[in-house]
Amino acid sequence: MRMERTAWAGLLSLAWVSAGRAAWALPQEEQGGGEQAEGGGEGEPAEEDENGEERWFAIVGGDVYTGLGGALRGATLLARNGRILEIGRDLLLPEGTEVLDATGMRVYPGLVALDATSRISGGAFGPSLEEEEAEEGIDVHHEAEAGVQEALRALGAAQQETKDEIEDTFDPFSQYLVLALATGITTAEQQNVAVKLKRGEIEGILVCDKFQTSVVWSLSNPSSIKGAREKFAKASEYLRRYRAFEALPEKEKKEQKEPSKKGVDPGFLGILEGKTLARFNASAREELIGIARLAQEYHFRPVISGCQEGWTVAEELGRAGAYAVITPRDRNPKDESLVRPGGTSIENAAILWKSGVQVAIKPSSTAFDLGGITGRDLLALTVEAGFGVRGGLSEEAALQSITLVPARILGCDHRVGTLEVGKDLDAIVTDGDLLHYETFVQYAVVEGKLVYDKEKEIFFAHIRPRPKKPEPPATPETGVEPETDEGEGAGQEETSQDEKGEEGGS
Amino acid sequence: MLQVCLSLFLCSGPSPAQGDCLAIRVGRAETISKGTLEHAVILVEDGKITAIGEDLPIERGVPVLDRPDWVVTPGLVNCRSRAGMDGNAARSFDPEQRASGELYPRQDVWQDLLDAGVTTLGLYPPGSGIPGQAVAVRPRGATAGEMIVEDGVYLQIYIGANPSLKKMLTDAFGKLDEYDEKVKKAREKWDKEQEQKKSKVKSKGKSETEEKKEGQQEEKKEGGEGQAQQEDKKDEGKKDDAKKADSAEAFVPPEPDPKVKPFVDLRDKRLPALMSINKAADYLHLLDAIDKREFLWSLHVPLRDDVDLYEVADKLGEKKVSVVLTPLVTLQPNTRRERNLPAELARAGAKVVLVPRGDGVAEHERWMFDVGRLVAAGLDRQAALAAVTLEAARVLGLEERLGSLDPGKDANLILWSGDPFEPQSRIQAVMLEGKIVSGEVGR
Repeated sequence: MRMERTAWAGLLSLAWVSAGRAAWALPQEEQGGGEQAEGGGEGEPAEEDENGEERWFAIVGGDVYTGLGGALRGATLLARNGRILEIGRDLLLPEGTEVLDATGMRVYPGLVALDATSRISGGAFGPSLEEEEAEEGIDVHHEAEAGVQEALRALGAAQQETKDEIEDTFDPFSQYLVLALATGITTAEQQNVAVKLKRGEIEGILVCDKFQTSVVWSLSNPSSIKGAREKFAKASEYLRRYRAFEALPEKEKKEQKEPSKKGVDPGFLGILEGKTLARFNASAREELIGIARLAQEYHFRPVISGCQEGWTVAEELGRAGAYAVITPRDRNPKDESLVRPGGTSIENAAILWKSGVQVAIKPSSTAFDLGGITGRDLLALTVEAGFGVRGGLSEEAALQSITLVPARILGCDHRVGTLEVGKDLDAIVTDGDLLHYETFVQYAVVEGKLVYDKEKEIFFAHIRPRPKKPEPPATPETGVEPETDEGEGAGQEETSQDEKGEEGGS
Repeated sequence: MLQVCLSLFLCSGPSPAQGDCLAIRVGRAETISKGTLEHAVILVEDGKITAIGEDLPIERGVPVLDRPDWVVTPGLVNCRSRAGMDGNAARSFDPEQRASGELYPRQDVWQDLLDAGVTTLGLYPPGSGIPGQAVAVRPRGATAGEMIVEDGVYLQIYIGANPSLKKMLTDAFGKLDEYDEKVKKAREKWDKEQEQKKSKVKSKGKSETEEKKEGQQEEKKEGGEGQAQQEDKKDEGKKDDAKKADSAEAFVPPEPDPKVKPFVDLRDKRLPALMSINKAADYLHLLDAIDKREFLWSLHVPLRDDVDLYEVADKLGEKKVSVVLTPLVTLQPNTRRERNLPAELARAGAKVVLVPRGDGVAEHERWMFDVGRLVAAGLDRQAALAAVTLEAARVLGLEERLGSLDPGKDANLILWSGDPFEPQSRIQAVMLEGKIVSGEVGR
């Protein structure tokens, strides 16, 4: 449902942009009709706030790193009601737009943290739930067979419970949430569910559409491999029989019995149906090869956490379309009793990426905690990605490994992960290269609302305070990014907007 | 104006020298409602304050208590306490339970509380969840009946970022909706019956019918307010009224389940609720659980070291919510930075209510001292005084009857030897409804 609307908004806003600038005079006059304007030519999707008012937000003047490989110098991001409507230069901002000045700074998509164990919502201290997790309830658009649907329905109920629990325990004022935002994280996984780190709000925090089924596949526990194989085989066999049954003419259907679901694990059915992701935790080369073969046999894309020796079998993993969730700073020596290559490598991320594996990066501890400032927890997520770059990963890939790829794993890449028209305006403004250790997140924006301002929070305001305006925006100390838009014609206009933005922000 | 009133009263009333009449002349009076009065004169008659003003003339023959050094404040109101009660309970859904059931009059603690200046207590039921309704008592009386000022003063509800607590409340509201549905159906049935009767007796006069119609509309206005369903009912009722014949008996809605009844009262604003939460997020979850239903409610937040209530101070101020707090300067979470939350909330516009830090006599004795610390740390003095008197009375729904020094209110007074927030000040005497119940005052 939610997803549908997003798609709608995206499509319509594209149309809007192409409709030309003349339309800019109109936005205030739009009537607050239904949820979506029907057809009506120029008619806009009247997706509105609760108050029936449109909320405009713009980040102006920053170098926008979209997360797709491009950087737009001195560009403006304009969002309406939290969705990005337009990205470009010299945009006309509608009246009442809240403006965030990012001149001289960089704008990145908000980061996505996998496996976050935090105190933001209750019950999410440990790793994810086991098998019960699978599928998000009933998707009316899915054309799967009723029998399969029915099997997945029970899982939907269990999933709903998890979601309700997260929603009912979410603490949008948690100091840990502020710490996450200070790191640049705007979406965090909690119990296999993607949660938007909205501040001061408890509505609309869940953004997930896909879920995961944990599959145990470990050499130290050979029966787990056998068990997993059996479950896949059973689910696959059931699907085959069910499809054959469905293909029968109506008359014969009545005579024959529907195939039995006995012994079929709905989670594995979900994997084969492409409704849930199979999540493995494996690091040994043999395990990884096994998973890759299994995935190719049953045509699904595995998500492999750990994946320490992945670099030795990168080709296989790439062919299997695997996702790897890795920690570049992991250190594990090679098993010297074996001839084959092994152990951890700083190049792991780079090699996997080159072989076509979708690489996501997470730190070795996935807690937010005050004890862990610049340690190995989620507060050092960008530093961890920086170690990927040290091993040869491209900066673009490193950025995607903490934005787009984890968003894909969580099934929320239609909303977050990159800065694109139609997606949520979840962005961070930094004073330098995101992956540099000196860089601080100056602002964080979630769904077009400023939720973090370094100067106004107690944690880092005292460290290298932001230079005061109207002094020329200082080049960040990292010195990576010199001023690029100084001489541009839009400079004058932007300055006036900057002032407005400051008023609005204070 | 006051003078005129006073003299008028003294002239026309019964002989002032007789009866239960006393004039108190003190250096200062904290009226709460009208600020501080210097050289105040308070006339007390039959347990009520009948006049108050600066330098009011006192008619000859009226006994006068003349203490130019003393300060008078209203008696303290502790709107949320378990003093003198020892019941324990687990989490439960018992909205019909009343704390008055465990009230035990013959205890020393009541006199001790009077000595500490506490003239009104709101005693709440034990347990968590929705454990029941509170009772307002005066700490004096030989029987429970004599102690009770008013029963069922508020419904205690615990709520927060907790699925089961939220569910308890939403389920309760669900039951209320079910009941409303039932009433609606009963009403329809009744209307039908009336119509049948009407067809039998067609010859009745038109004027009479119209009278009846008006009567019924009025009755409905009293019945339910604010609810969408109720509104539907009204509309339908009006339509039916047009055709309705008169009948002897009016419509009697079915009796609600005892566990639903408190929520009917809540909805009809006959019973307020006191919502206990622990942190700012709980407030959002509370709003989520009540889902825009309108009823009277106050908040209670026990202050501990790391309460982040400042996050919702603006929202509470905007709504002018009464917030029951502990008089404590707390710390910002994860820091050693002090925050005076009561002062911040008062500044934002919320109605701050302060209760003692515990239910023991000692906590009641140091209550004003604790509040005084908040004043020293930035809480507005008048707001602090109101927080232990009038605003606390408001939580109990007794703001018309006590909590300030105003004519017509109960004569619950504390006579202090000096400023009430000054640790050296002593309570010289306490008056409860016109009677000196603690201390000695020679006339």
